[in-house]
Amino acid sequence: MTQAPKPPALRPGLVPGVLSILAMLLVWTLASQLTDRPQTLPAPWHVAARIARLAQTGELWFNAGMTLFRVAASFALAMAAGMALGLWMGRSRAADRWLNPATIILLNVPALVVVVLCYIWIGLNETGAILAVALNKIPVTTVMLREGARALRPDLDDMARAFRMRPALRLRHVVLPQLAPHIAAAARAGISLIWKIVLVVEFLGRSNGVGFKIHLLFSSFDVEGVLAWALAFVAVMLAIDLFLLRPWERRANRWRQDAA
Amino acid sequence: MRLDLESRSFGPRQVLGRLALSVARGERLAILGPSGIGKSTLLRILSGLDRDYRGRREGQETLAMVFQEPVLLPWRDAVANIAIPAGCAAAQARDWLARVGLAGHEAKFPRQLSLGQQRRLALARAFAVAPDILLMDEPFTSLDAETGARMLALTDALLSGSGAGLVLVTHDPAEAAALGARALHLGGQPARLQND
Repeated sequence: MTQAPKPPALRPGLVPGVLSILAMLLVWTLASQLTDRPQTLPAPWHVAARIARLAQTGELWFNAGMTLFRVAASFALAMAAGMALGLWMGRSRAADRWLNPATIILLNVPALVVVVLCYIWIGLNETGAILAVALNKIPVTTVMLREGARALRPDLDDMARAFRMRPALRLRHVVLPQLAPHIAAAARAGISLIWKIVLVVEFLGRSNGVGFKIHLLFSSFDVEGVLAWALAFVAVMLAIDLFLLRPWERRANRWRQDAA
Repeated sequence: MRLDLESRSFGPRQVLGRLALSVARGERLAILGPSGIGKSTLLRILSGLDRDYRGRREGQETLAMVFQEPVLLPWRDAVANIAIPAGCAAAQARDWLARVGLAGHEAKFPRQLSLGQQRRLALARAFAVAPDILLMDEPFTSLDAETGARMLALTDALLSGSGAGLVLVTHDPAEAAALGARALHLGGQPARLQND
């Protein structure tokens, strides 16, 4: 028996997706033409031209690259720490009781407070910036992974113990595949949260990156520039979701398909 | 291996009473009794999965377990489902698949196999450990009569071929008889072993 080729998951949502983006562009165009001050809301083609200019000078690539590096570093840190903590808290009731109050407190401290404190305590440097972003995301990942760890199948646990599987093998083949949907959800929710906080961190205390550029443009009230940088980076993040996260999710879910 | 059990309780309720059990390579035992009497608990103690009992368990034999449900890794194909838990090479896993009649199903995931095939895969996984004693917990339930009979014959052949001992937990004396296993009855409250 062969497996039927699965149609790409993109296809069904493609037409409505493109149409809804076109509709948003149309509303933007109309609104920009109705305002008499182009400084307040520039037309989409002006923003597009600005993006093109930024790309030509290389400014876009350098600053978007720096922001992307900070996103990647804090994402990796937050996912690793959040997964370890979530797994631990989901498996051990004692760990959950001890760590839960700290998790709830950290979940509710405003991102800005964490950023400011990190900058003051660690310094206005890359470590402070990345740690500040990761600290904002760790409790969110922890809580999501804890729910997954609580729902781990006890029969598979027994099987792994009965066959004396080594801890590393057990983690890789028994535990992580069960957590995959939770990890994917945490990653999806995390990447968007993280890049928003990275911009705040750059706005407050870095001398490059998209957030720093927006800081400069804010002081001159340059809406066109702000929109150009924001949209360019949104495109980067969308590309990561489409070409990195989704294919990985599809691959991880291969086993759910029935035989043809 | 030998078990001298004093008691096993769940909360205030004592399930298993004083009993002694020993089994060696080549020896086949069946533990019979009604549902809920503590057969599976006894098997879990024998397998080392349950350590919360009073008594002594000794023996250096390699054990392998076949659970009531197949308990396979749904996200790994048939070969990996043998190779990963049993810790054997992929070639050996393929060999075991062929021996339980699953040749040609190597790349399938568990949910693409029928229940009978999944149970044979679980059996192959247990034998891939090269056990001295095989522990089986009602492995033939919810199979139709014909599939059940084929599975019994296959188990018998693999046990004879490998020389492994067997502890089978079942409620069906016919299964014990088909495998030529000495039947021990578990009964009473708390449950003890009664020889036939």
